[in-house]
This record gives sequence, structure tokens and C-alpha cells, in this order.
Amino acid sequence: MAFATIDVTKGITGTIPVANGGTGLASGTTGEFLKFTGSTTLAPAEAGGGITEVDQYRITSTFTGSSNPITSNWERNDTVFDKIGTGMTQSSGNFTFPSTGIYKVEFNLPFSRNGNNQYSAIKINVTTDNSNYTLRATSYGFIEEAGAETYSSVYAQTIVDVTDTSNVKVQFGVVNQAVCNFYGDTNANQAVATFIRLGDT
Amino acid sequence: MKRPDHIENALCQMHTNQWFTWTDSKNKIYANLKLTEKVGIDGNIVDNPVTELPTESAVNAKLKELQDAWDAANGG
Repeated sequence: MAFATIDVTKGITGTIPVANGGTGLASGTTGEFLKFTGSTTLAPAEAGGGITEVDQYRITSTFTGSSNPITSNWERNDTVFDKIGTGMTQSSGNFTFPSTGIYKVEFNLPFSRNGNNQYSAIKINVTTDNSNYTLRATSYGFIEEAGAETYSSVYAQTIVDVTDTSNVKVQFGVVNQAVCNFYGDTNANQAVATFIRLGDT
Repeated sequence: MKRPDHIENALCQMHTNQWFTWTDSKNKIYANLKLTEKVGIDGNIVDNPVTELPTESAVNAKLKELQDAWDAANGG
């Protein structure tokens, strides 16, 4: 004997959270998940919470001395990575975000000097009016000469709430006590800025 | 530190800040060298104070100077 249908509301004990196996779930979409749309109803939904924007820009050429802001020789990492999402745009060292949201912004800068250097300070500056930049992150490194060209690196990060892509922008800079070499490269990341969208604003 | 072997090693010792750039950053030869229009100084974006490219011979001479100094320091 074969059953044409099974009434799951009968003959089963315990809680049946969704009456009749749910509503409108006769089929699904590849890659989607089920989520509750009410206390007892289920529906398919797109995966959420993943990273939607990642981008990375590096400085392609080495320079010496202070540069604040760093205006030139930026390029998107184009060797073993391409952006996720739309990506940042850059003009004269001013970086514009592709969409509103909460972004983590990182900057790493290696440097060297044949001699002492009391400090090299990198800066992440943020504007909220597309004009006046304010220091929002900094980090200091120094060189104590070790008999020849001596190397170090500085790293800074901040989280930026981008509420308006026209007005919230970032730029990077470096100042130092003594003239140092700051390393750029077009084939490998040395001086590099990374942008990761963490979530909605 | 490796021995200076590229004109960029010389260029970045001739002036401070980002005074030069390349028309093709993947092909850093003298013919692709150009001045940047702007540089960042004290939080401001200003005109590049370097207004003239060094000659190729001057760049090569600077590179040789760096190489000679490196050789002297490293027993070359």
C-alpha cells in the first residue's frame, strides 16, 4: 500500500515548527539559505554577512623624505589579486570609497636609512567634508643604525564609518626626523594600503 | 641591502618626496620618467618644487656614485 500524501500534522509528536513543512518552499535557489521570516515561517534568503568590498593600493616607486599626503605613484595591486566588489578610486592620493559602510583601512610602509632616524610616522587622514583632513591613525618607527643601511617598517590602521561617499575620504602620509628611503614596488607589496568593508554604516 | 642597480635608486637620492613618476610603472626606464605635478608637504598638496628632470647622464652618474659607495662599503 502506498500513501499518496502524508499528513505531517498527525501521527508525529513533538513540535512541528513550520506547518505543513513551510510555505512556498517547493523549490530553492542554489547558494541561498533558509531563514525565519516569522516565528513559524521559513523562506529562502541570500547569504549575508560576507565581505563585499576589498581593495589594495600600493606605491610603485621608492621615495625619500617626508610626503604628507602621499600623492603619487599609487596603483591597485595587479599581480596576484584583483579587488572584490567595486573597489576604491584614487586621485592625487585621495581615496574614495565605492559605497557607504564601515571600512577597515590599513597602511604599511617599510623604510630604511644608513644612520639614525628618531622617527618615521605614518598617518591615515580622514575627511568628512571632502576638504579638511584630520589625523585618525598614526604609527611610529625608528632606525638605530646597525653599521649599514638599516630597515624597519610602520603599520597603522583605523575603522572609518563612511556615511557619504562624496565627503568621507582618506589619504596617507609619512613624516620623519631624518631623510629615509620609503620603499615602493610595482610587482610586490611594500608600501601598501588595504581597504575592507566590514558592514553597513 | 643589495647593490644599487636601477636608476630609481639614483632618482630617489637626487631629491626628496615624490618628485618623479613613470609613464609605465612596469617599465622603469629613463624614457618613461616624468615629473609629478603635485607633491604632499605638511598636509597640503602643492606644486612639485622640482621643475626639471635630470639628464640621463646625470642619473647614470648618480647611480655609479651609489654603486661605488656600496662597493667600497662591501669590499667590492
